[in-house]
Parts: sequence; C-alpha cells; structure tokens
Amino acid sequence: MYPDDLKYSPEHEWVRIDGDTATVGITDYAQEQLGDIVFVQLPETGEDVEPGSVIGELESTKSVSDLFAPVSGQVISRNEALDSSPEVVNSDPYGEGWLIKVRVDADEQLDDLMDAAAYEASLGG
Amino acid sequence: MTLLRSPLHDRHVALGAKLAEFGGWEMPLEYAGGGVLAEHRAVREAVGVFDVSHLGTLRVTGEGAAALVDGTLTNDLGRIGPGQAQYTLCCDESGGVVDDLIVYRVSDTDLLLVPNAANAAEVARRLVAVAPAGVDITDLHEDEAIIAVQGPASDAVLQAMGLPTGHDYMAFESGLLGDRRVTVCRSGYTGEVGYELVVEADGALAVWDAVMAAGETHGVRACGLGARDTLRTEMGYPLHGQDLSLEISPVMARSGWAVGWDKPAFWGRDALVAQREDKTVPLLRGLRATGRGIPRAGMTVLGASGEPAGTVTSGTFSPTLRTGVGLALLDRSVGFGDQVTVDVRGRAELFDVVKPPFVEASTR
Repeated sequence: MYPDDLKYSPEHEWVRIDGDTATVGITDYAQEQLGDIVFVQLPETGEDVEPGSVIGELESTKSVSDLFAPVSGQVISRNEALDSSPEVVNSDPYGEGWLIKVRVDADEQLDDLMDAAAYEASLGG
Repeated sequence: MTLLRSPLHDRHVALGAKLAEFGGWEMPLEYAGGGVLAEHRAVREAVGVFDVSHLGTLRVTGEGAAALVDGTLTNDLGRIGPGQAQYTLCCDESGGVVDDLIVYRVSDTDLLLVPNAANAAEVARRLVAVAPAGVDITDLHEDEAIIAVQGPASDAVLQAMGLPTGHDYMAFESGLLGDRRVTVCRSGYTGEVGYELVVEADGALAVWDAVMAAGETHGVRACGLGARDTLRTEMGYPLHGQDLSLEISPVMARSGWAVGWDKPAFWGRDALVAQREDKTVPLLRGLRATGRGIPRAGMTVLGASGEPAGTVTSGTFSPTLRTGVGLALLDRSVGFGDQVTVDVRGRAELFDVVKPPFVEASTR
C-alpha cells in the first residue's frame, strides 16, 4: 500500500524523486479517506510552490481537501488527464493518478518527508 | 452520547462499510468495493439496497387517530385512502419545519408516521401533547427496521422474494417473508422505481439477506447515506436540517404541494398562509454548474450585479450529469433561467438557476 521507493508527507502526499524532478500524488490512505474523487484542481505549470502551501484541491462526492506542496520548486507538469478522469486518483494513486511534477529547488533537503515505514507508523498502524 | 445501531450493523461491518453518525445513529456512509459513484450508478441502472433503520417510526392508533394527524401535520390526509402513504410536514406555529415525514394510512384508527431519525422524538412529543384521550402514540424507533430497495430491477428482486410489487406509487401492501410480515411501500428517496420495506427489527436480517440473495443476478449493491444524498439531490428532494428547517418553511422550500391549504387547521397554518400571500420570503431553487464548481451547503450565492442573493442549502457532484448541482435559498430577485455566481472557497463559479429535478425522475 505504501511503496518503499517513495517519500511521504504528513499531509498524505507521496513524492517520487528522479534527479531534480519530484512527481507528487496522494497516498492510498488519502484517496480512501476522501472517497470517490470527482474534481481535481492543480497548480499551473510554471508556478513556484513551497512546502506546506496550498496548491490545489481534491474534491470528492462528499468533501473537499486541500492539496499541499510537499517540496519546494517549480511546477513543470500537471496531470491533465485528471480533468476528465479524476477517478484515476482513486484507482491508481501511485501510477496514472499522479498529480504534478516539480523541478525541485537545489537547496531542498526533503527533511520533512518520511519513508514508507515511518509514514505507515504515522497512520497508527 | 452512545450512538444507536441498526439491527443490520454487523452486515454493514462485514461489507466493509465506512460508518458515520447520522441523527444519533451509526449508519453506513459507503461500502468497500463500491463507493458513492458505484452505489449511485447501481440505483440508477440496476438496484441498490439501503438500510434506513435510523428513520423513526411512530404509530398513532385509536379512535380519532386520523383526525389528530390531519389536524396537525400539513398535508391533507383526505387526499389518500387506506393503503396509501403521503409526504407531509410537521411545522411549528411560525411555519418553520420541525420535520418532514411519511404517513402510512392503514386505517382511520391506525397510522404509521416515518419521521427523520433526529426529529422522531420531537414529533412524538408534539403529538402526545395534543392527542385526545383514546389516541395512543407509540414510538417504535428501535423496534422497526426500514430497508429501501431502489432501482429499475427492484420489482424483479421483490418478486423473487415473494413480496407484492407493482402497486401504485405511494401505495403500500402487506407481504410475508417466511413468517415475517413486511409492509411494502412503493416509495423512496432516489427518484427511481423502488420500495421501502418496514419490518420488525428482529426480522431485518432475514429481509436484508433475502434482498442481497435475490438481487445478486441483478447486480444489487448495498448503498450508504453518501449515495442516498447524491441520488436525492439529483431529484431536488429536500433534506430536513438543510433545505427544510425551523428557518426554512414549506413556502420557502416550494413544498406547498404537501400542504392542505384548504384545511381549517394544522400547525403553522396562519404563518404559512401569510407567507404565501406575502410573496416576499426567499425561495428554494436549483443550481446547475456551467463550469467545474461544486456547490456546498453554506456557500454564498451572488446575483447578476454581485449582490448577495442567497445561500446554498445542499450541493454535491451529480454522478449522472457529471457536474455540480445544488439547492439554494434565493431572494425573489432571482428567478429560473437566471445565472448566479457561487463563492466556492474564494473562486467565483457560475451556475444556472433551474427548476429541479436535475435528472428526470422514474418513480412511476
């Protein structure tokens, strides 16, 4: 449920680091808590984001959750497919349901992120 | 406060339900392997089963029972005969809505009221306070279970269970499942053909299991309160506590069709007649998104020139239309066909003001 090759934020985002690019999504736990996602609002390409800032929204049939930036950097890509198929965030949160790609700032230490074991422990088992 | 549990609680847990508090009861919101969208679709296209045992059941019996109900609740009981049910409202003297409910008219001396979970005790209290000698009001809230079978395949499911089907909309018949008496009413809160089955609480498991077994070949899904809300919102059916309340009268909610205006007396009559003639109270209307916004209860509605024009009372994503829909209490300056703006967490989203239902009803 929580792949070992990913880093996790306290706000239930996952981050996959590849060179200076971070792919960001929400965890299986988060999609399960939200329920069926019907609307995803993402930041625009080129936008600068920093950890903890609200950069979008995930809306389900019954509630809305803010999307927080887990890293600092510049948005270089957003998952346009979610405009028409937001439910992919539920069905494939770590794959096709990714949200944005960020070019990570050079001085970003990723200190606030957890590994899979720590994240799972943070959920209370 | 300890939450009350349905006699079907163990079934919900076994089906992986997410449970939530509703009106003092712990009830399923949605089920594992389903979710609101799949459950919603099952009801629109096949059949869904809802445990609505949180709904209250009040039995009014004795000589004068029908007269008591007719003289207090808004709708004209004379519009229905024995074996028929009716939507009605319990108002206070200022015309505010204490609750909306269904009345089953078994006979003039035996009526069953089905109020909402949170308001059942208050409705009972108000009726007891004015009941004449000889009329008894019995609160059966925890003694009766209610299971709703809704969707185009509901007839087939009930037939397979050996229960009566095909009676008129809002009519009820008595059936047997094994040795259990089941009241089968052609009613629901989804806009689809469907039935609501009233059975004694210790017969609820047998009815639920029989529905699931008979429904298997029809793709039956257990459905939670989440889908119940998206289904009723697509129909524009009001939910008490949101679209009807002590502050939102039946005149405001455009529920005047459930008021027996010609009756000499019912609770709230004078206030409601005055509101109806006055034509100044805000009115409940439908909102349909032209963009991506999803309205939610409490959001502010702005008119054409940006002036506050009302408040959203219910809102959701319509799974059928794949767009945001809602109900809003709007000033008289706004009418059907107008366009309004809703403040969706700081974003100005456009909505058309429309007359519900948002999706065509198939109840008949």
